[in-house]
Amino acid sequence: MPDSQVLSAVFSNLSKAAEKQRLPDASALFSQLADHYRQDGDGGRDLGYLAEQFAGDIGAEYPELRKAAAEAAHRGVLRAVTWGEKVTKTQKALVDRYASKGEELLAGADLFICEACGFIFLGTEPPEICPVCKAPALRFSLVK
Amino acid sequence: MYAARNLRLCTKDCVCLFVCPTGATDTEDGQIDASKCVEGCRACVDACPSHAIHLVMQRYPEPVARSASLTESALALGTRKLAQERAAGSIADGDAQPGAARLARALARSCRILAEDCAREAGYMTPQCHATRALLAEVAQQAGGDSASVAEKLIGSL
Repeated sequence: MPDSQVLSAVFSNLSKAAEKQRLPDASALFSQLADHYRQDGDGGRDLGYLAEQFAGDIGAEYPELRKAAAEAAHRGVLRAVTWGEKVTKTQKALVDRYASKGEELLAGADLFICEACGFIFLGTEPPEICPVCKAPALRFSLVK
Repeated sequence: MYAARNLRLCTKDCVCLFVCPTGATDTEDGQIDASKCVEGCRACVDACPSHAIHLVMQRYPEPVARSASLTESALALGTRKLAQERAAGSIADGDAQPGAARLARALARSCRILAEDCAREAGYMTPQCHATRALLAEVAQQAGGDSASVAEKLIGSL
């Protein structure tokens, strides 16, 4: 059994998978399990801490997983690494831009998130096609 | 496999109503009635002028196998992304300025999606696959509270 910390994501992903298969009851049950393994907030952190974490992902974690996936010639994992690395770069870019511009960065602009790959877009309308995973605009949702 | 309609694509030409042998496509909610749908018939799928009907698999194939070490590495990265989700969540719920709080909420959601993608590629891809079933069996044995019975219900229904 994997480390219980990650089980929340395993089950919330299966909840989405069940929904796509039109299995609403199973989706709700997986969602309950995801909540069971969800852990409490990590208090006392700031955006600077997240910038360090993202830099570590970009500099070490994703490249290492890419190497392992390439050696195993595993298409699925390689695809996840490609999207994850690009999205993490945009996560870090947003935090860095906020560090230099402050609240002005977000004034008069909305944040949209691609539900397929996690890409965050800053602007007034979501892009027609996600630049990372090519999902259409209807896969974007507004962050309130 | 039975037919399902993508309501976003449906242009209400209603050709499916005329070609369906059982009337499964004629429903109030616009979705196709899986209980009336004939396994593998696909008359509506081929007739639809807007390609809005597809066949839903009832038996999904097993995901491509991967090594235990690749699974472990993908889960480790997923664990990192979940820790980042929690950190971003605490920033959003703390006393951050409104823009920073909004950015933190976006980062939390984005990190969750990346963690889910790692979990999926670690091998827990479909609700029906062997890896998911084995995990649910372990949860049914080990978890406390309602979770054991939730896992058992899932094992029974999938």
